[in-house]
Amino acid sequence: MAKTVLAVDDSSSLRQMVAFSLKAAGYQVIEAVDGIDGFEKAKNQTVDLVLTDQNMPRMDGIGLIKLLRGIASYQKVPILMLTTESSDEMKAQGRAAGANGWLVKPFDPQRLIEVVKKVIG
Amino acid sequence: MPKKKLLGIQVKHLLSGVSDHGTQHLAEVEADLVQTALLLGEAIEKLGVNFMAIHAAVCAQQETVNLLLSGKVPTSEYAEKLKEVDGEIGKRVNAVVTSLQFQDLTSQLIGRTVMRVTKLREYLDTLGSSCAVMLPDSDCDEIVNLLGQLNETLAAQSVELHSILRKAVTQTHMESGDIELF
Repeated sequence: MAKTVLAVDDSSSLRQMVAFSLKAAGYQVIEAVDGIDGFEKAKNQTVDLVLTDQNMPRMDGIGLIKLLRGIASYQKVPILMLTTESSDEMKAQGRAAGANGWLVKPFDPQRLIEVVKKVIG
Repeated sequence: MPKKKLLGIQVKHLLSGVSDHGTQHLAEVEADLVQTALLLGEAIEKLGVNFMAIHAAVCAQQETVNLLLSGKVPTSEYAEKLKEVDGEIGKRVNAVVTSLQFQDLTSQLIGRTVMRVTKLREYLDTLGSSCAVMLPDSDCDEIVNLLGQLNETLAAQSVELHSILRKAVTQTHMESGDIELF
């Protein structure tokens, strides 16, 4: 059965690129437009990996991670940040919140797939 | 302190504050626009190059399809070429996917620029509305007080603007970014 990735990003073109890349590699992709939408979608279904942007309206990526890590079923689900942010300070905040990795945009589809495979198989 | 001197200090403070604030934010707007232009230019160039390469690859594939349709059996050379073309298309599509992400990066830069311009306009509105309260026959004390209040308001607006305009996009190329697993 295909593994499911929840892609959270307020940019529709970015979500489209993530979905295009991961679906081609055999993953199922659920899209969410911001942290709140991502949290609602994560609560209602099981996902194998969360891939989230940082800067989004209503709720940012680190806020989403903090909420998800508060749910028992999401304590061990890998969460990767995919963001334009690249400062050490922001990475440290993400790591402290419970992120398992940091990918700086723009992404190369092949490298994204390799990372996703490494993390969830 | 003599009133004239107090007035001079407040006027100097106001003028230098407006000048510093305006200059600094316009410099940031300029930097964001230059960065946006760089990203757009590189993205368009890469999209163009890769589009042409995909077109050439599809044409090469079509040659083989035409050969098959004509009833001829393609040689092993054709099979090898098809494999090569397939790999080339995959590589080019990946490059297109990376380049297409320019929209996400540039829209963040443009959003920041728009917010900066909006806040700069609000700053100038504050300046304008305070000047409107200052009457030509206001006495020196009134003017000093008004200028003092105006300087405080503008300083607060300047601090607020700095706090909401953190730079989230530092990329100047449409190359894939770093990956770090914790």
